[in-house]
Amino acid sequence: MSDRMDPMDPELNDVLGDPELIRIARLLSRTTMPEAPLDDAFKTGLRRQLMTEAWKSAEGGNAWWRKLFAPQGMAWAGAAAVVLIAASVVFYTATSPAGGLTQTVEIGSPQQDSPSVPIHQAILVSFNQPMDHASTENAVQVQPATTVAFRWGGDTQLYVQPTSGDLAPNTQYQITIGPGAKTLAGTKLDTPKTVTFVTQPVPTPTPPPSPSPKNNMLLTNQAQLTTAYPPSGTTYPPVWSADSKTVYFVGGGGALEAVPAAGGTAKTLVPDGVSLPAMAPAGDRLAFVRNGGIEILTLASGSTSDVAVTPAPTTLQWVKGKLEWGSSDGIFTVGDGGPVRIAADPTPDGTAISIAPDGAHAIFQVADSLSIVEVASGKSTNLCGGGCATTFEGWSPDGTRVVYGGVIATLTGRTISSLPGTSISWSATNEILLGSDTGLYEVRPDGSGLTRLADGTYDMPVWAPDSATLVFVRSGLWVATAPAPAPLPPATDQALTVVSDFMDARLKGNADHAQQYLDDAAKAIYNSGTPALIPTGDPSFKRFYVLTSEVDPSAANTVRVVVRMVFASGKDEKNTVEETLTLKREEATDPFLIDAVTASAPRDLGKGPEVIGVKITATEVDVTFDSDLVPTSVGGVTLQDSNGMTVNVTPGYSDRVVTLSGLQLTPGAHYRLVVLPTVLDVGSRHTASEYDLDLIGPAPDATSGGAAPSPSPSPSPSPSPSPAPSAGPSPSPT
Amino acid sequence: MSDPSRDEERRLVDRAKRDPREFGALYDRHFQQIYRFVYSRVREQTAAEDVTSEVFIKALKAMPRYQDTGRPFAAWLYQIAVNAIADRYRSLRPAQPLEDFHDLSVAGPAIEEQAAHRDEIRRIWSIVEELPAQQRTALVLKFQEDMKIEDIAVAMGKTPGAVKLLIHRGVSRLRDQAGALRPLE
Repeated sequence: MSDRMDPMDPELNDVLGDPELIRIARLLSRTTMPEAPLDDAFKTGLRRQLMTEAWKSAEGGNAWWRKLFAPQGMAWAGAAAVVLIAASVVFYTATSPAGGLTQTVEIGSPQQDSPSVPIHQAILVSFNQPMDHASTENAVQVQPATTVAFRWGGDTQLYVQPTSGDLAPNTQYQITIGPGAKTLAGTKLDTPKTVTFVTQPVPTPTPPPSPSPKNNMLLTNQAQLTTAYPPSGTTYPPVWSADSKTVYFVGGGGALEAVPAAGGTAKTLVPDGVSLPAMAPAGDRLAFVRNGGIEILTLASGSTSDVAVTPAPTTLQWVKGKLEWGSSDGIFTVGDGGPVRIAADPTPDGTAISIAPDGAHAIFQVADSLSIVEVASGKSTNLCGGGCATTFEGWSPDGTRVVYGGVIATLTGRTISSLPGTSISWSATNEILLGSDTGLYEVRPDGSGLTRLADGTYDMPVWAPDSATLVFVRSGLWVATAPAPAPLPPATDQALTVVSDFMDARLKGNADHAQQYLDDAAKAIYNSGTPALIPTGDPSFKRFYVLTSEVDPSAANTVRVVVRMVFASGKDEKNTVEETLTLKREEATDPFLIDAVTASAPRDLGKGPEVIGVKITATEVDVTFDSDLVPTSVGGVTLQDSNGMTVNVTPGYSDRVVTLSGLQLTPGAHYRLVVLPTVLDVGSRHTASEYDLDLIGPAPDATSGGAAPSPSPSPSPSPSPSPAPSAGPSPSPT
Repeated sequence: MSDPSRDEERRLVDRAKRDPREFGALYDRHFQQIYRFVYSRVREQTAAEDVTSEVFIKALKAMPRYQDTGRPFAAWLYQIAVNAIADRYRSLRPAQPLEDFHDLSVAGPAIEEQAAHRDEIRRIWSIVEELPAQQRTALVLKFQEDMKIEDIAVAMGKTPGAVKLLIHRGVSRLRDQAGALRPLE
């Protein structure tokens, strides 16, 4: 009988006790508020206000103008001002009748030393006294060379913004006010003053936040199907009909029962003695063990056929419409003349406990160890030993992965990923349910996309074939509908997540953590010391960002990522090293591991225009620079094919981006981007040496490159405190 | 099993404690629930905006002193919100009609059954609104915000036992005042 009562919070049972109080509490739980009316402008404005406060707080600790206007600072400043004025008047009247009071020009900026300035941010330079606009603007120098526009807030606040609109991402900027700048009183700067900061990566769309359930609302249609499951004693997982509409389970006394997933009365199909139920893939037959033999129930007719077997089966599995079973003697199937053994037990005292869905392998339990046997060859491999026998959880739908002891492993026992739970069900669409007494989670096999579906008791979840419906145990057998899983990210995004975590670990000096993202081949490379897994020395490893990433169409499940490591002495970034990381995975459901790495020679910064991002498609290569370029010099950006021949294309240029378009790149073919020293920035500077970047022709529909997420140490896409000025067009080539 | 959501929250909190500019992520994560809770108590949009602003500004300023006691960060925000509401609206009562406010959730009964329950729902929540402030707050945090009792205790600055008592007394009072409510099932 279906019982659609709401699940009750166990805490309330404890608090309320009385059934009437619980009933009222349930009534309260079943009401929910409509969304409160919300003005989005308020939400955005409050965030901006908070971030402004945060910036002030973060920058204010050592900024002179913050201290000056702080209450305590104000008091001291007031006292100091009195003394200063008195002293100055005496000094002025005594010694300098023709002159005037002078004060050292100081500058400050909320962006000073920030590691993550938004690229849309205008840079605010504040002065401690009114400045002459023309001389100050003429004294501004921007590194990397950038054409900028100015806007003034009164005479003490100068906003600097690139005329192209945005700052370059992942770039350290230095905005210097040179000695030519004068105050309105005519005082010149005694020394150049510089504001230094690093910009954020290119903004990427924010993924929707992970849903967090209220009153189990992520799971819908929750209903209790029966209280006859699980029975006392041995429990066999329920099995689904092929159309996901009926659940079959073994209840008390070994009765085989069927209950509609939509709710209704359970129907007894076999009165007693049933174990190990297994549904044929077509959904027409249900096999089970009874009285030591196998019975196959044809569901349409209700007729049963027997298969006499010895010894008694310990596991059943349908393989391509044919029944196979395992026992202490090996793996069997039905031949023309009766049972045929297709694989022997690898040890005299082992017992088969599971056969893979594709029938290619089987698991044997030997004492407290698990062995995996290749059915065709009989070859066995010890999967794990010492207490792991009771933790075998199942197979991936294609039979290429096993789950035991909270890990997903290859058929050779190599761990692929860890799961935060052991009560699992792996769907046909590769979503894994993790059940427990306290909640239900969903996760992808590579460990990504972990989502809490509900709080409460959700034991022994079992997906239906539709990968949307599930049953679970909670004081009986329950059914529910899971939400559609989030779309799988592109392979490059999955690889970039690995690279980001790997580089973060290196940046923090955590070698053990970094090693987790390497396969044996890559470990050997880093263990050689070239390149160093944890760079040391001066300049020191300060930050990183992804230059480009692309799927390698010439190799399955392979992504290539070029990551740039920036090294600094103090806060001055000195040089960069590029590592080209090749990430691989055996199966599309596995997480990527770094398999190979090559490192470039160090390249000095501050010499001329540098490439900071490359985006490649089959027909176009976009090369983003950190500087504004002299348009007539971008012919120095070329593409070479695998024979070293220059691809015939005329580059276009706009807003720091050189575009090589009209290409027909061959998928999987090797190309080389070449940037010659003839490329000039708007300050007429060029790099000392050629820059080369190897690329691979992408698949026709693939897009990759620097626009992908490219983490920096602390890229927080928080809005900036300063309002972006509508800069008047007063270009100032620097 | 560790709670990945809590682990992520701890990371965000740690970052915000070190650098207030990281507070934005916590704001994004908790704005909606705090605003909803505040609105449910003050029932007026401008007032809800004022109180919500106060909550987050206080939270930002107090971040360096925030101590992770093992409870969700939201419990701390609720605590600030409860105090802010108490300070500003101690003597006020909700003005908006209750029927505009409480709807049956999607997890509730079918439409026709909802209609049958609507009067009962209104009655119960109208009684909730007349409960002593602390009982009312405890019931709202438990039944509307779906919080655990230990988290409510943090939010209200009480012991879990005191919160249980508030909930028990509040629901008991509902039972006493609502009279014979029609059985739900």
